[in-house]
Amino acid sequence: MAGKLEGKIALITGAAQGIGLAVATRYAAEGATVVLSDIDGDAVQAAAEGIGGSASAMTADVTSEEQVAALVGEVVAQHGGLDIAVANAGIATVQPAVGMSLADWRKVTSVNLDGVFLTLTHAAGAMAASGGGALVTIASVTAQAGSPLISSYAAAKAGAVNLTRTIAIEMRDHGVRANAICPGFIDTELVKPHKKTFADALGLEAMGIPDFDAFIAMKQGRYGTEEEVAALATFLASDRAGFCTAGEYNLDGGLRASLL
Amino acid sequence: MSDLELEGRRAHVTGAASGIGWAIAQRLAAGGARVAISDVDEEGAKARAAELGSGHVGLGCDVRSMSEVSAAIDATVDAFGGLDLLVNNAGVEIGKPMVDTEEDEFMTLMDINVNGVYRASRAATAALAAAAAAGSDSAIVNIASVAGVGGCPLLSAYCASKAAVIRFSEVCAIELREAGVRVNAVCPAFIDTPMVQRLAPAVAAMTGMEFGDVVAVKQGRYGTLEEVAEVVAFLGSSEAAWTTGSHYVLDGGISGGLL
Repeated sequence: MAGKLEGKIALITGAAQGIGLAVATRYAAEGATVVLSDIDGDAVQAAAEGIGGSASAMTADVTSEEQVAALVGEVVAQHGGLDIAVANAGIATVQPAVGMSLADWRKVTSVNLDGVFLTLTHAAGAMAASGGGALVTIASVTAQAGSPLISSYAAAKAGAVNLTRTIAIEMRDHGVRANAICPGFIDTELVKPHKKTFADALGLEAMGIPDFDAFIAMKQGRYGTEEEVAALATFLASDRAGFCTAGEYNLDGGLRASLL
Repeated sequence: MSDLELEGRRAHVTGAASGIGWAIAQRLAAGGARVAISDVDEEGAKARAAELGSGHVGLGCDVRSMSEVSAAIDATVDAFGGLDLLVNNAGVEIGKPMVDTEEDEFMTLMDINVNGVYRASRAATAALAAAAAAGSDSAIVNIASVAGVGGCPLLSAYCASKAAVIRFSEVCAIELREAGVRVNAVCPAFIDTPMVQRLAPAVAAMTGMEFGDVVAVKQGRYGTLEEVAEVVAFLGSSEAAWTTGSHYVLDGGISGGLL
């Protein structure tokens, strides 16, 4: 059976690990030529080698306009175009908003919002020049609701969703679609070190909930997997989703649907 | 085209003798699912099922009747030995100003578009939960609309009904999560269907623009039946195994922009 992304050229940022690596792996399995980028050059090189085939790696810091422009330019030069770009690179810090320094705030927003801006705007320009393409932003359900202890992360994700929608509308007549994926909690390296902090801040013990994992089971059934995000990112990047643009697609086991 | 994710799934699609429902039935069957087509037009439903070939069934069903809905779900379970996927698609529209909408028209629309979704969801839950317990990724996909996301003049009853479907889907998703049944809604914008063409003159009169221009400006182009069916096929498959309580728009950007 032909892959769902046969013949497509895809760029994925932050692809050395986690969701970015899962997306790159799935895209390659679906027939795309994938370019993995990451700020960690050695790790992304190893990740691309792990995928094998035509997968390749490039080192880029998404907060640098010069580096993102060079990254997109290099992909186009090497592969003759760009069909899919996934703005995935992201980081998180865990601390209350009140008392946070501006430097700490910007550390997160520079990657999660400025980095998405640079990725989308440069990729969209390249796509428009070759007849169109699909942009996918890996956002978060934290974009849609107050999210204690991760204010900078959540605010940047909200900004990234809105930016994705706006670029979708600006670029509609150029054949460029843009959509945001909003996952709930995945058991990634972004979450794992902070479970105890979240549990304490949420007062889980007082509610009779033993730990953060148990809380997650109540709120979203289970942790999602990186592969499940990759499946949705595949659908949205494929021609099957040709009328999907400027949308926000949750996958969160029902987390956002409930007030309680 | 066949999809590993749909192969062998046992599906029921309401309102599937024509339009979006028929496109969904065709897509699921092409992916390897067995499909029960139900419709208030019983002859149409049977003819469509025959068109899909052996292994599919056509059933008469008015979603305004709990007994008819229950019978149609039971017949599906009998025919296929279970049910993995319910697509609540049956729906109607009224295209006129709220002040000109008669109470009985409003009530009839709600009875089909909202109460019908409740009836079929309730009737199918036991079978869907049983399939989940046996290892299936059971799902309900409700066909809502971007009219449930934002207001659209002349569609007061329709918009209210589709907003209700979105919220109903969320609650079902939470309540049925432990039973292993996922529930999501799909929100298409204007698709080139007879229903939309019936609305066109009234919308054009209201907005002062040709309807085709409204579509071009707000959503780029008409969506296609096949594009709706693709989103339903995705949400109805194990590819979306962690997606529940969500509504997925496919609307060319009409609901994503402010102006």
